[in-house]
Amino acid sequence: MSENRIMADSLVKTFTKNEKKNKKVEINAVDGISLSVKEGEIVGILGANGAGKTTLLRMLSKLMKPTEGCVSIRIGDREISDDIEVKRHIGYLSNNTKLYGRLSCRELLKMLGTLYGISDEAVGKKIEEISEVLSLGNFIDNRIEKLSTGQTQRASIARCLIHDPEVYILDEPTLGLDILSSGAIIEFMKRERERGKSILYSTHYMEEAESLCDKIIMIHKGKIISEGTPAALKEQTGKDALRGVFAELIVREGIADEH
Amino acid sequence: MNTKIIRTLIKKELLDVFRDKKTVIMMLVVPVILYPLIFIGAMQVFAAISSSMEKQDYRIAVDAEDDGAFLQALLEISSEKENSGKDEADGESYTLIAYDVRSLDSNHDYMNKLREEEIDAYVVGRMHKDKMLYDVYYMSSVTNSAYAGNIVMDVFEKFREEMTKEKIWQAGLHASEILEPILFEKQDISTNEQSLGSIMGSVLPFMLIISLLMGTMYPAIDTTAGERERGTLETILTLPVASRQLIVSKFITVATIGIISALLNILSMGGIALYMQQIMELGENVQSFDMSRFIPAILIGILAVFAFSLFISAITMCVTSFAKSYKEANNYITPLMLVVMIVGYIGFIPNLELNRTLAMIPVANICLLIKNILVFKIDYMIIAIVLFSNIAYAMLAILFLSKIYDSEAILFGDAKSSFQLFEKRSNIQKGGVPSMSDAWFVMALTIVLILYVGSMMQIKYGIAGLFGTQMIILLVALSVVWYTKKDIRLTYGFHKTGARSYLGGVFMIIGFYLINMVMVTGLAYLFPESTENVSITFSEIMDGNIVGVFFVIAVTPAICEEMLFRGMLFHSMKARYRMPVAIGAVATLFGLYHMSLVKFIPTGLLGLLLCYMVYATGSIYPAMMMHCINNALSVFISCYPKQVEALLPVFSQDTLSLSDVFVLLGAGLLLFGVGLMILQGKHRKKQR
Repeated sequence: MSENRIMADSLVKTFTKNEKKNKKVEINAVDGISLSVKEGEIVGILGANGAGKTTLLRMLSKLMKPTEGCVSIRIGDREISDDIEVKRHIGYLSNNTKLYGRLSCRELLKMLGTLYGISDEAVGKKIEEISEVLSLGNFIDNRIEKLSTGQTQRASIARCLIHDPEVYILDEPTLGLDILSSGAIIEFMKRERERGKSILYSTHYMEEAESLCDKIIMIHKGKIISEGTPAALKEQTGKDALRGVFAELIVREGIADEH
Repeated sequence: MNTKIIRTLIKKELLDVFRDKKTVIMMLVVPVILYPLIFIGAMQVFAAISSSMEKQDYRIAVDAEDDGAFLQALLEISSEKENSGKDEADGESYTLIAYDVRSLDSNHDYMNKLREEEIDAYVVGRMHKDKMLYDVYYMSSVTNSAYAGNIVMDVFEKFREEMTKEKIWQAGLHASEILEPILFEKQDISTNEQSLGSIMGSVLPFMLIISLLMGTMYPAIDTTAGERERGTLETILTLPVASRQLIVSKFITVATIGIISALLNILSMGGIALYMQQIMELGENVQSFDMSRFIPAILIGILAVFAFSLFISAITMCVTSFAKSYKEANNYITPLMLVVMIVGYIGFIPNLELNRTLAMIPVANICLLIKNILVFKIDYMIIAIVLFSNIAYAMLAILFLSKIYDSEAILFGDAKSSFQLFEKRSNIQKGGVPSMSDAWFVMALTIVLILYVGSMMQIKYGIAGLFGTQMIILLVALSVVWYTKKDIRLTYGFHKTGARSYLGGVFMIIGFYLINMVMVTGLAYLFPESTENVSITFSEIMDGNIVGVFFVIAVTPAICEEMLFRGMLFHSMKARYRMPVAIGAVATLFGLYHMSLVKFIPTGLLGLLLCYMVYATGSIYPAMMMHCINNALSVFISCYPKQVEALLPVFSQDTLSLSDVFVLLGAGLLLFGVGLMILQGKHRKKQR
């Protein structure tokens, strides 16, 4: 049986923006979202640009503090909510998590391993292991700034793997990648799911999400508008592809807004 | 705190920074290449100049009715120079080619030859009322001719001396007794090391401070704004590392690089100094220095460099942390650099003693400390204050930094610069009040301009210069407000307000003035020297006519200073901070702007009152009126001392008796209270 690994309870994130004439406007980028991810499950977050996906994922990975609500993860029979402890068990990847260009891949992995509190010996072993799986072999000692896009993406995945986390939070990991590179990422997610890890990821690619995810959460203007398995969502709206489901739900939401 | 985490982070930061060519070049090029190059270049130029002077021949034509007496003197000096020339340490050796025009073909026009630079000087001597009158013609616009002129004048001095001696001797007297009834000589009891130290003391601190700033600048930008620009900040935030560990490691990295670059600078300068010493010894100039005497100074100097590098690293990091890119960070660093350089000039001020107050002023304290220890003035108490205060400021800055690194608005904020001033004008949206960054920029620029241009104008033009200073205060802010297309009414608080505001204001400012008088007298008692200076400058200004004085001292500041402080600065702050913070900050800046320890409290309080007025009435006009009344009262008391003394003797006394204090305070508080009530009445009416 599988248990809940990530638990988020009614998360709210409010941003204050300075508009014209010094009036401060408060915007809820995330407006009361609760969700959970089980062991060995891939959950996809779908939403238009500005729906609040990135903010939600940043709160889940403890980069941002929620204005309201809380995030915790379960490791074994312990429930952890302390920021630093949670970070220890999360592998977070986004378009904003760039790598240190002036370091080599090996140097970076070694440093990260130490910061995650892994012994030098274990780090060395782990690097060999990761290098094998992701075939980093021929560029692992090159400076990262000299690597190609695909190689850099693999190095980024290696970064997430170094501490063998229980949870992966990936913010649009396949955005702008070619078929080979995005294929590598999808392979990586499937492989980690097999190992019982929990993966939460956001994407714009409906087809990719449809084939990969065990559960889909659709968000719009900071709120969940629908969630369920891809099949259930299709059934609910009577559409035969996820793309149609999403459009349908947005339209419904728009109508609901007007009333 | 887990040291392993910090060690790993520092290792990573150092690796990262040192692999950046820009940092390494900045760190190495200046001390290791630039200094020696500048030095060697200067030596070359100097050598070239002196060698060209050595080889110089000066052609002097003499046309005198003295039977060749002066020509003889000239030739004697010339041959003396030639014989001893090479031993002269000052390098002033030359050959004089002097000839008598009379013995030659005298058809030439020697004046014309001088103009055409064929000869360098032309001496004409003729009898004039029993005396020889010589005219030395030369051209001051031609270097050689100017030198030749000087040489001829020197020869004349000697020539006259000889003649005098001869005359005295002819009269049967003893020449040296008459000409030199006394003897005197200057004796320097400074050790050679002290003289060297005092020369180095004016330049070295400045060089050190600038090199430290340059050394820390790039790593500071690289580890803060650079990290954000390259997008690795979010990566590092995903790690199980506390933000203070992050800050501490970044700070240690920047400070380490600062220290390394400062040490390189010291070593390079030391190397040049030793080289210079060698050259001096070769030049048989027997001024030798015992370098070992500098060891304690160097040790304390290194400690000072350490403390200062902690301070400057923390400050630069604070500044660059707000920037989202290299370019923006550079924009932020420039004003900081200006301030540091200006304060660094303090080392060049002669006779400025490092006292306990100065020991707490950052940058200035390090400059003066290094200057002091170079002349072997070592006061351990003051050294301790300097070192401790630098470290304390650094710690405060670090606390502030870790707050920044906890602020999501700064970490994940959108990449828009808060300096609108550096944007293209067509991209700027109309309306609103200036951003905080722009307001700070205006303040910094205004103060720099006041320091340089303003004080120059005041020295040169007196009261008109004072008016010019006020114009600087007005125009800098106005042009920024114009450029950034801000709403003039909102920015300056040009709003109408009721008669109650003005009436209340009049009562309050007169009350304040009375209370202030008590305070100023108290301060004069505490700091006697500094008030004297104030009153001297004030009475100097008072020499002008009364209308002009009233206009420049009461009316102009009431408009210009109010528009800057209570207008632009206050409204920018109000938009950003809570009201008490905004009022307090403006009042403090207004106090600091008067640049005097004694004036700080009274002017700061005046600033507080005027700020409150703008806040309470929503308009700047009552504050302008109050500022005008306040200054006018001072003008009045200074310009009509007799009338004031007859009417209200309290105002013209230097010291106050206890009863005076009570009367003044009582009356002041009463008036102030009445004013406040009138104003509050207006407030209540508005609320209803």
